[in-house]
Formats: sequence, structure tokens, C-alpha cells
Amino acid sequence: MKEPYLIAKDIYKSYDDIQAVSGVSFQIPQGEVFGLLGPNGAGKTTLISILTGLFEPSQGNVVIDGEDLKQNKLHAQTKIGFVPQELALYPTLSARDNLLFYGRIYGLRGKHLRERVASVLELVDLTERANDAIDTYSGGMKRRINMAVGLLHEPELLFLDEPTVGIDSQSRNAIYESVQALNKMGMTIVYTTHYMEAAERLCHRVAIIDKGKLIALDTPQSLIRNLGGGLVLLKLHPRRFSAITEQGKQIPAVKDITQQDGKLVIHAYQVQHALVGILEIASKIGARIKAVEVLEPNLEAVFLQMTGKKLRNN
Amino acid sequence: MLRQILAITFKDLKILFNDRGGIIILFAMPAMFILVMSTALQGVFEIGSSDRPIEILVANSDTGDLAQETIAELETLDGLVVIQTDAAAPLNRQKIEELITTGKYEVGVVFPTNFTDLILESATTPDVVQPTVTFIADPTTSTQFLAPIRGTVQGFIERTAAYSQAPAQIENRIKASFESLAQDAPPEQAEIVKEIGTAFINNFEIEQNSESGASSIVQFERVAPADYKIEKFPTSVEQNVPGYTVFGIFFIVQVLSGSILQEKQEGTFRRLLVAPLPRTALLLGKLLPYYLVNLIQVAAMFAVGRIFFGMGLGHAPLGLLLVSLGVAAAATGMGLLVTALGKTPAQISGVSTMLAITLSAIGGMMVPTFAMPEFMQTLAKISPHYWALAGYQDIIVRGLGAGDVLPEIGVLLGFSVVFFGFALWKFEFE
Repeated sequence: MKEPYLIAKDIYKSYDDIQAVSGVSFQIPQGEVFGLLGPNGAGKTTLISILTGLFEPSQGNVVIDGEDLKQNKLHAQTKIGFVPQELALYPTLSARDNLLFYGRIYGLRGKHLRERVASVLELVDLTERANDAIDTYSGGMKRRINMAVGLLHEPELLFLDEPTVGIDSQSRNAIYESVQALNKMGMTIVYTTHYMEAAERLCHRVAIIDKGKLIALDTPQSLIRNLGGGLVLLKLHPRRFSAITEQGKQIPAVKDITQQDGKLVIHAYQVQHALVGILEIASKIGARIKAVEVLEPNLEAVFLQMTGKKLRNN
Repeated sequence: MLRQILAITFKDLKILFNDRGGIIILFAMPAMFILVMSTALQGVFEIGSSDRPIEILVANSDTGDLAQETIAELETLDGLVVIQTDAAAPLNRQKIEELITTGKYEVGVVFPTNFTDLILESATTPDVVQPTVTFIADPTTSTQFLAPIRGTVQGFIERTAAYSQAPAQIENRIKASFESLAQDAPPEQAEIVKEIGTAFINNFEIEQNSESGASSIVQFERVAPADYKIEKFPTSVEQNVPGYTVFGIFFIVQVLSGSILQEKQEGTFRRLLVAPLPRTALLLGKLLPYYLVNLIQVAAMFAVGRIFFGMGLGHAPLGLLLVSLGVAAAATGMGLLVTALGKTPAQISGVSTMLAITLSAIGGMMVPTFAMPEFMQTLAKISPHYWALAGYQDIIVRGLGAGDVLPEIGVLLGFSVVFFGFALWKFEFE
């Protein structure tokens, strides 16, 4: 493993009575695309805010490229690019004016500033609309400018907080391609999302966050592999749960059976065989199956298995 | 850091001047007040009532009785209280000027020593010098307020003077007529004609409602207290423009607090906090453009007064600048305070509007403080508007210098320190 570019060590953050982040630790090597996966309210944005220096943690510390964020915040922040979930732009100003303003904030000036503005406009394919006010842009175009702002000062570490929320698939693909291109150039990227598609496609490793805790951290492939063949969700009367669980665990294709949100969740090595076996048991004991849902082995299923919740339902 | 502050400043100015609604609030509204209200309100000011009478200081140096008779007449008027003593001592011109300068009273009248003598003498001697009654008033006292008082007092003085002259004038005419008759009469009757004339004069009762060129009997002059260095009395525009300007300046509270809240809600504030930008620079960058806009407002409003109404600006540009810097600091400080305390756009809008209107009213922007009840006059001093207006009026209307407005500037800066201090204590960046 390469030298860690970002180290989060035992991070805690609480607001009043709410524990937003609870004991999160991980390291991100240079050049990695690191996914933070979790539903809304899981603590991802708070964690990102701590990693970027916006919030100070209640406990723990963050090191970026060898610099303690608390002690050398302003210098460490020069290495960080941040693309927030909100469209953090000035809508009545043009894209160019927005970029020039943020560039100056990052200390860019003169010819270099103008060149960087031109470069990022080209990167997000909005050079022709550069002088139009942001509020005349489509949602996807705004997202692209939002991302361009984060890239202006050529950061070594880029935080992308839900960068594809609320946009069409074409714009989403354009952003995915940009992320991949930036990573190829050596940029370290922390990518927060609740879209499993993005995490699977872009991230070298994924951290799953729920209720402020880090509950899994691995490559998407390993997480999916550990899941097995997939999940089968059965909706039936709860008084039948124990019988089906007891007999179902005898089926060779079944890895485990748990209960979540009033459903039986069958963790299968082989989904088809497990489903047939379970349906036979249900028929034999006279249990009426109200609904069946099969989840292919993917991060969505991993998340459900680990948290008992679906990502997008939240 | 300076470059970052300037970057934020220029960005905010650009956004602000793109926002026509904001420009209307900050510039068009106070300009409209100046143009319309200054014209419309002339002459419609209502003076005293029996519930809240106008107090007028009177110094009577007259060695005769006529001034005292006039004063006695004035004392019978509802809505007017004549004050002739201070701390049990009779008032004189110097004391009246002192009481007006300290702001305790607005207007006084001084009867000269030879008031009665000159009036009576002028009844029989055509070329005698007319007595001069002096009105002393604070230059900031509005014409709308002063004119009816002056008219009332002047009317009483002239009437008393006219009554006093009438007997002597009529007696002279009758006497002259009988002497003329006596000359034309046979010598043996001449003496009898004169005796009839004398008897007629002695039995003649003067009609007290007669008029006899009263307007030329007494001269009137209006002066300011000697400490004030004014060359001419202010126009209504010179009295009103500073007030409306201060009124407009404090509307920056709404624009400033709305801007910061909007940045917080739209995420741009968060993005700036993640940038290598000290929080002090961020706040200074947010405040500086609105501070500059306040100064531009002052320049624009005074320019409106100057260009459209020929308004004078006094003789102390440094003083004007210092007062402007002070009031702009108080207004931006109040804007930050409202931002720190308000959580929603509705809260900020409501509180800003309420403060702008209420503090303007309390501070004398709409009704002069001297026309307010006493407790309101005391309350006025909690309003930064009051001190800002006092500072501007000292220079523009009273003709004072920069050194004279240091107390007002000090109070405005004190307000700024309190506003900024409390705002920074409560302000949440995150």
C-alpha cells in the first residue's frame, strides 16, 4: 500500500445529544478513489466536513499529506478541492465570474487564473456558456460548474459530496468520466454517494457508514464477494419466521437467515436454489408468502445486509 | 488575505448591483423620501396642542409695559407655554441661547430694553428707529414647526404695539384738526375751538380694534445661538435630507443579513469555509461591500439634495466623512447582529424591517424628537439613528466643525462595538 495521503484517526463528532460520527478511523493512500457509502443522515456529510476542516471533531484528528489539519488548517486546505452536495454557486453571476471569484479565494491571479478558468471550463465542456448567468443553466450544467470550481486550483485531494444528485444520466456519466480522468492524473478522491452504481464503478475502496459508525471498509468486489450469491427478502406473517428460519438454515444454498424490518432476509450462496428450498418449506408448513424480492450481489445488497436498510429508501 | 477580502467584496458588490430590488431599497426609497416628502410636508406641520404645548423661552428686557402686556397675552394661548425664568432667575438672551444650544428648548424670544419707548415714540415721531424683537431658534428646528409659532408671537406683538400707538396718533390728529379750525376761526372764537378740541380728546375712547400700519411698528429677526456658525438658515431640504439618508442607510441591515443567510443556505459559505480562507477575512469580505454601499448611499443622497435643491453641506467635509464612517459602521454592525440572531429569511426580513422603521421613528427621522413626549425624547438616544442625524445636522444645519461632532461619532462607534461584539459572540459559521 502507498503512503496514506489522508488519515482519519478515531473521529467523533456530536451535536447536543446527537452522535453524528462515532469512532471512525481509516487511511486513504495517494491516488485512490475512496467511496463513502451511506444513506442520508448516516453522518457522511459531517465526516466530510471534518475531513475538509469545516468542522473540528469532538475527538480524534485528521492528517492530510503529513499535516495535521487542526494545526495547519489553512495550508492543508490549499491541497483540498471540495465539491459540495449543494450547488454552491452565485446564480446571478456568470460561470466565468464564479470561477474567477473562487480562483482568487484560492490565491490564483492574473494569467494563471484565467488559464485555469479556461481549462476547467473546457474540462466540463461549458466554455461556450461561460459568460451566461448560472441561473440560466440546466441542473446538469450547474453540477458540472460546481465540480469545476473544486478543480480550479489543481488540488491533490478532491472531496465530492453527492456530486450527481438530481441530474440526468447523461450528465451523471459525464461526471463519472471526469472523476476517472482526474484519478488517472493521480488525484486522490473521496467520493460520497448513496448511488451504489457510482461506488462500484468509480471507487477502489468503499467505506459503509451508518448511524455515524464505519461498519465496513473494503473494495467493492470483496464486499460483494463476502455477501455470497445475493439476498432473498420474504414478506410473510411474523409467526412463521421461526419455523422457516430453523428449517431454511438446513438448505445448503442458504448462508444465513435474519429478520429485518418485518421481513425475512435469506443470505444465499446460490439465490435460485435457496429460493426454491424456502418456498418448499413455506408450502409444507402452510405459510403464505405475501411478497418475494431478490437482490443480486451488489453494494445495495451489501448495505442491506449490514444495516438492514436500503440505501435509496433513505 | 487582503486579496481574498477584496475578492469577496467585489463579488458581493457585483451581486448587489445585479439585484434591482436591493438597489431600490437602498437608493430609490430614501431618494423618493427626499424628493417627495421634502416637498409635500412643507407647511403642514401641526404645532402645539393643550395636551402637549410648545414651550417658548422669553427674555423681557423692556423697561416699559408693552412687552409684559404681550407676554401676558401669549400666556393665555392654549398650546403655548411661556417660560420666563430658569432656576428662578429671569431669562436673558445669553441664557436662552445656552438653553437652546444644549437642546433643552427649541425657540426663544427677546424683547429689547427700549421696546415700549420706541413704539410709543414712533407713534408721534415718524422717523424714529423701530424696536427689534429677536427670535432665537436652533437651526435644525424645522420651518414647518417654527413658522406658526413665530407667526403667532409676531401677531400678538404687533397687535399690542398697534393698540399702544393708536391713542397718541388719534390725539395728534384731532388736536391738529382743532388747531387748524382755530386758525381759520375769528380771533375771539379761536381759544374756544381749542378748548372744545381738548375736551373732545379727553372724552374720546379709543376703539381697541383699530389697525394702524402695525407691520411697520416692530422689526423681527431670526437668529441662531451665537455658538453656531451658520451663514443662513437651513432650508427644509437641508433639514430633511440627513434624516432620510440615515433612514436609508439602515436598510443595509436587511440586505447584508439576507446575503449572509443566503450564502449559508445555498452552500457557498460552506464552500468558502473549506477554502484556505481565514474566517476573519471571510467576515470582513462580507461586511466591507455593504459598508462601502452605505458610504455611496450617503454621497448619492447628499448629491440628490445638492443637485435638485441646492442643499448646503456645511463647512466641515471631514466631519461629514467621520459621521458617515461612524453611521456606516453602526449599520453594518447591526446587520451582522441580525444575521447572528436570525435563523430564517422571514425572521431576518421581519426583524430588519422592524428595526429600520422603529429606530428611525424613535430616532427622529419621521417626527422631530423635540416634538415628541419627554420619555420618547429620552428613548431616542438608544437609537443610532438619533446620533447619526445629530452629527449630520451639527455640520450641515448648525454649521459646526469636525471636532464638534466627535461625541456623536463616539456614540456611533460605541454602537458598532456593541453590535459587532454581540454578533461575533453569537455568529455561527457552520
